[in-house]
Amino acid sequence: MKQATDPAKERYALMEKIQMVDFALVELTLYLDTHPQDTQAIQQFNQLAVESRDLKSAYEQRFGPLRQYGGSFSGYPWNWGDSPWPWQL
Amino acid sequence: MYTPIKCYQPYHGPFDPCPSRGTVCYQTPPNLYLGFQPPNLQQFPIQEALYKGTLWPALYDPYPTPLEKGAKR
Repeated sequence: MKQATDPAKERYALMEKIQMVDFALVELTLYLDTHPQDTQAIQQFNQLAVESRDLKSAYEQRFGPLRQYGGSFSGYPWNWGDSPWPWQL
Repeated sequence: MYTPIKCYQPYHGPFDPCPSRGTVCYQTPPNLYLGFQPPNLQQFPIQEALYKGTLWPALYDPYPTPLEKGAKR
């Protein structure tokens, strides 16, 4: 039985997952810059990219857009400016 | 295996007004000893990597304090 966790806790848990995946993507990007032929790392990078996109869309459906200029879909009304901002989280 | 912490004794002359510093230690990052990173290095799990600051244990650097031996600063 999924215990009803309050949205704040869920929000932080989801944001933490996003940060974990994005950090790994940054590391892999830097690694792949110097190792372009490493197929295994490229495969891992693509898997993480898909995971990151899914996590972000899940987050955005519930807590509002994360990115601008088409990076995220907008809710109604135009709500990308609503708080909390990432640094206020 | 390399030792991340290196120590040396600076020369203390007889007319040196300042007190002797005894042994001076400093800490060196692991990437100095790695050279070109080999492929397929062992990785941290994603959850841990974020908090360890790197994806690869070989490059993990907790920046150990050079004063571990209680050397006089």
